[in-house]
Amino acid sequence: MRHLVKGATIAAAVSVTASMAVAEYPERPITMVIPYGPGGATDISARTISEPLTTAVDNPLVMVNRTGAGGATGSVSVQNANPDGYTMLFARVGSHTVNPAMKATLPYTLDDFRFVGVYEINPVACAVHPDSGYDSMEELVAEVNANPGTVSYSSSGVGSLLHLAGAMMLREFGVENPVESAIHIPLKGGGAAATAVLNGTATFICTNSSALASFVTNEQLKPLVVTTAEPVVGFDAPTSADLDMPQLQRLVGWTGIAGPDGLPDDIAATWGEWLAEATSDEEFVSKMEARGSVIRLMDPVESQEFIETQYEVFRELVDDLGMRIEG
Amino acid sequence: MSFIDSIMAGLALVANVESFLALAIGVTVGVIAGAIPGMSATMAVALTLPFTFSLAPITGILLLLGVYKGGIFAGSIPAILIKTPGTPASSATVLDGYPMAEKGQAGKALGMALYASCTADLISNMALIMFAGILASFALNFGPPEFFTLILFSLTIIAGVSGDSLLKGIFSAVLGLLFATVGLDLVYGTNRFNFNDPNLMGGLNFIAVLIGLFAIPEILNMVWNPASADGKTRSLGAKWVTFAEYKRCFRSIIRGSLIGVFLGSIPGIGAAPSAFLSYSEARRKSKNRENFGKGEIEGVAASEAGNNGVAGATLIPLLALGVPGDVITAIIIGAFMIHGLQPGPMMFIMNVDIIYGMFLGLIISSVLLLFVGSISIRAFRYVADIPRGVLFPAVMVLCVYGVYAVNNNIFDVGVMFAMGWLGYIMLRANIPAAPFLIAFILGPLLEDNFRQSMLMSGSSPWILARGPITWFFWTVTLITVVAIVRAGVKGHRDARRQRRAAAETRAG
Repeated sequence: MRHLVKGATIAAAVSVTASMAVAEYPERPITMVIPYGPGGATDISARTISEPLTTAVDNPLVMVNRTGAGGATGSVSVQNANPDGYTMLFARVGSHTVNPAMKATLPYTLDDFRFVGVYEINPVACAVHPDSGYDSMEELVAEVNANPGTVSYSSSGVGSLLHLAGAMMLREFGVENPVESAIHIPLKGGGAAATAVLNGTATFICTNSSALASFVTNEQLKPLVVTTAEPVVGFDAPTSADLDMPQLQRLVGWTGIAGPDGLPDDIAATWGEWLAEATSDEEFVSKMEARGSVIRLMDPVESQEFIETQYEVFRELVDDLGMRIEG
Repeated sequence: MSFIDSIMAGLALVANVESFLALAIGVTVGVIAGAIPGMSATMAVALTLPFTFSLAPITGILLLLGVYKGGIFAGSIPAILIKTPGTPASSATVLDGYPMAEKGQAGKALGMALYASCTADLISNMALIMFAGILASFALNFGPPEFFTLILFSLTIIAGVSGDSLLKGIFSAVLGLLFATVGLDLVYGTNRFNFNDPNLMGGLNFIAVLIGLFAIPEILNMVWNPASADGKTRSLGAKWVTFAEYKRCFRSIIRGSLIGVFLGSIPGIGAAPSAFLSYSEARRKSKNRENFGKGEIEGVAASEAGNNGVAGATLIPLLALGVPGDVITAIIIGAFMIHGLQPGPMMFIMNVDIIYGMFLGLIISSVLLLFVGSISIRAFRYVADIPRGVLFPAVMVLCVYGVYAVNNNIFDVGVMFAMGWLGYIMLRANIPAAPFLIAFILGPLLEDNFRQSMLMSGSSPWILARGPITWFFWTVTLITVVAIVRAGVKGHRDARRQRRAAAETRAG
């Protein structure tokens, strides 16, 4: 009898510890890698969500900027980390769909990551200088087709969302081969890309509406189109719904959280719950919406699907246009 | 609203305890962060940003500006005391600041750095307040071709910091250009010299290169040759800078400030090139040209004026156009946006109180910098009295920690040590490190702008001479190169004549 009691106690103790080991994640601070520099769209988004997220996680989140190579440096460091949930990544449209679709030599693929949630969508808008004389995408495209090699668009670098977006928009609006007939001018960073349109170095730019918002408000840039179905506040331009072009809706920016590939199911599920709690925080939502983001939470499964679909669309476009970078 | 009304509206925002406190805390945090090698002004501003989320817009922005100003000045403290620029912007200060500390004039050098910084800061703020509109529309004329010619001209600085041998300076610069090519190709996005290592995809970390090149060789030198440092402490830098010295350097300070204002108002250049350009211009114009690089106080004044002159002016593209001029202003733009403010021409109409509040805050920050700076110098200059056997290991620890902290990447620490050995070899071979650094900063800018120009023009080189700005820079580049060649030929002749004279005396 005594043995039985002892055995039961031990069994109970073991099962309690076992369940505690699961319940106790996280038992120490979690490192959150931001693969872009301070002050950028990803950084601000990450730091804004870190506030409600810390409340949900109930353990400190250590925010680390690991910058370089269009988000690749930071992404690789998480790819190689232990899949124990203590090193997570703020993944972004550039680092996790455009770059993998364009760069053959990228040291990681989508399969190296497990997405636990996408929490933010950024509409993409295209804009020109108000003095350029273009009032619609149709006029711009007509010029590209009539005089190939005269219209240019700026980007924040090869393999950035802006790079792909410029080519994709021209193609959707009827330019046979935008890589040949329009000039892509890569610059260093999103601010420089917008400046290039301001000072006439480039004709147009397609990027997240939040990056253009202040220029549009100040009437320094004129928006021509917005890719979402719903209009964007302050942007007096047709949406994809107005133009009856639903395929444009795939061209959006997003921010999500990912871990290394081998991340266990229960940790992914826990993150899904944390993100649900964080994104329901009213202050967070109002802060993000003030900057032009749309808060839209996807659970781990939906995120994975969304990102893979976007990747496929981009990959097809890149292959069609011969934009893939091999070297 | 009239000008007076605007100022009153701004005053209403700024004339309270919180604003002054925010500025004072900001400047203090900036000075401490800037004085730690590897902890750059950029990092300090980035780390302060989350604290501004819950503050009132103007208080938060003033806090960030305080950190920025304090950081840029304080980078000169370690540059002078331990030959390690605290921020990249104060690399030029090393050239004359460290030799002065070696001579036991650390206090004097630090004092001059402070006065030059505050003067330049004030001039830069004034330029922002009075000429923001004009300078911003001028800056918008700078496309890739104009940039290319400006950078080409700036490369002539190399001659000014080469020391005795122009050939060695050019060798060092070529090495710098070569190292700067590591990373991703801008136009094709292909990998260059990364040997399939993802760590090299982003290029060599600038701060790792900077610290490796300046601080580590000094430490290696001491390890190699410990006897030279035994028991040798530099005397307490008790001497303070005199008014006569300030007056003598005044011309260079003004020139440096204006160079800073000019380069600061053009987005994308930053404070380090401005400091070097100011330094080399001061050297070219100075009576004490021979003494530059050997501990000339005017050199310290010029480089500190050059980098602080940028600090106020980088806000010109930010406020007038909504365009960030460098990484720090990009972070500050983030702070504006978090508070729902959209920098740009409309802000001068919609939020005139905040704009003028900022202007007033900036002027107050120059004064605060003078106070906080004086106190910090009094505290820090005793570093010069620490025996080297204690100081250098401590510097080494700081360097490792600082370089790691930039990107939280241990690979960067490896880069620092590799560059340290390279720097040590260069030190032993009498090859100056400054041209390497300038080429490392300017090389990528030169290449990117050249290639962007070629993309714009469809590969026609004539775009590089498309307007008056490009003509101007082509002309001054040409004049400078001719002057350098003539000086070189003359120096060579003089040396030969002297040798011949010496030989004749010996023969006679």
